[in-house]
Amino acid sequence: MNKILICAFTFTSILFAQENSKSLLNDLHSVKNIKAFADYLFCSNDYLRAAEEYERYISFEKNDTAEFKVGLSYSRIGNYKLAEEKFNSISDNSIFNSSAELEYYKSIFQQEDYRSFRIIYSDEKPKANDLRKLYNLSFLFTEDKFPPKEEFISPFDSLERPDVNDFYDFRIEPPYKNPLAAALISTLLPGGGKIYTGEYGDGIVAFIATGLFAFLSYDNFKANHDFRGWLFAGLGTFFYAGNIYGSYASAQIYNARINFEFNARLNLYLSEKNYFISEIKFCE
Amino acid sequence: MSKSSSASSRVRVMKFLFITIFVGIFLLDSPFSQTDWESWNKAENNYQLPNNFRHRDYSFDSDNPAKFFVKSLTNTYWFFISDVDGDNCPFSPSCSSFFVQSVEETNIAKATLMFFDRFTRDLNIFKKGHYPRTEDGYFYDPPVLYSLNLPIKYLPPSEIINNE
Repeated sequence: MNKILICAFTFTSILFAQENSKSLLNDLHSVKNIKAFADYLFCSNDYLRAAEEYERYISFEKNDTAEFKVGLSYSRIGNYKLAEEKFNSISDNSIFNSSAELEYYKSIFQQEDYRSFRIIYSDEKPKANDLRKLYNLSFLFTEDKFPPKEEFISPFDSLERPDVNDFYDFRIEPPYKNPLAAALISTLLPGGGKIYTGEYGDGIVAFIATGLFAFLSYDNFKANHDFRGWLFAGLGTFFYAGNIYGSYASAQIYNARINFEFNARLNLYLSEKNYFISEIKFCE
Repeated sequence: MSKSSSASSRVRVMKFLFITIFVGIFLLDSPFSQTDWESWNKAENNYQLPNNFRHRDYSFDSDNPAKFFVKSLTNTYWFFISDVDGDNCPFSPSCSSFFVQSVEETNIAKATLMFFDRFTRDLNIFKKGHYPRTEDGYFYDPPVLYSLNLPIKYLPPSEIINNE
């Protein structure tokens, strides 16, 4: 009898298993649960899947918060183009309208298209002071003409001004190395131009290589080994000329590094300040 | 007596059915079951060191005499010296490839200067931390950085460069 019961239970559970999982599946995909799952993903920093779930949720039910969070999700995974589109599509009646506008500008800024940012900023509509800060800082990323210093730092508060002042001064007078000066120094002293650009190892090696070939050439000419004398003289000349050329290139690379590090520092500063946009806390 | 014998025969039948069903399930299950290799997606690892330290193009294809001259020199160097000597240049592209690429990008005079400058940098033993690395571990130092054409796309030493 017991065995019959065991068999009955086993087969019954197998037969009804599909039905149960079907109903569970329907429940999991309810509109309410999609939103709950999207919220969970958003707060777990799983922004790509959160955006997908929010979009699925919006297809069933229009929701301002979900639309805003789709834009935020794309922004946080670095898809700034899509974030820009999402923030731009948020209606004027939405409670997130003003935040979406700021995030929209932030997305354009983050696409590193600073000229477009300035063109879009310069329409007739009045702008928040925080956007003006971004507008001014956008000049630091390009070679375009800067506003005067007073005008440049005016939107920033007293806590922000020292940093912004530093950035401004750095951009006005960057500590570049002059490529012509580097080449000239290497002409006078082989390897000197490399040392001028901070490449001490390369400079010393260039000095030794040029000096060594010059000495070998001199020594062979002195010993009447003309062929070897000319061979070493030729090699020495190539090393000498190559080093002058390389010093010029080295100064250019040094300047590119200065720009790269400046941009990285400025981006870090902006990122720490969240691009001067107050963050809405959704996950507390 | 007949009741107990019929009961015991029914138990035997049930036992037989029970065992047949479960044995049948086990027998059918095992040939179709997933092995661990399938479920964990076993990777076919090859622990042999790759012998492709330089994907070299030995062709003499060139669109100008200067490039043909340099390519001939480089092919000779590769065939008689470099391939025999082994993988010794710490840079990517290697010094000889750097020369060929420099000729392609600029001209033979400029490329010669670039090559001697590269050779000086190769002689410097304190290279670590100055160049980004490729995935293979070479110092990435392309000719485009030295062609004097601006702007330069600076790559920090912390960057890992894709081999392709």
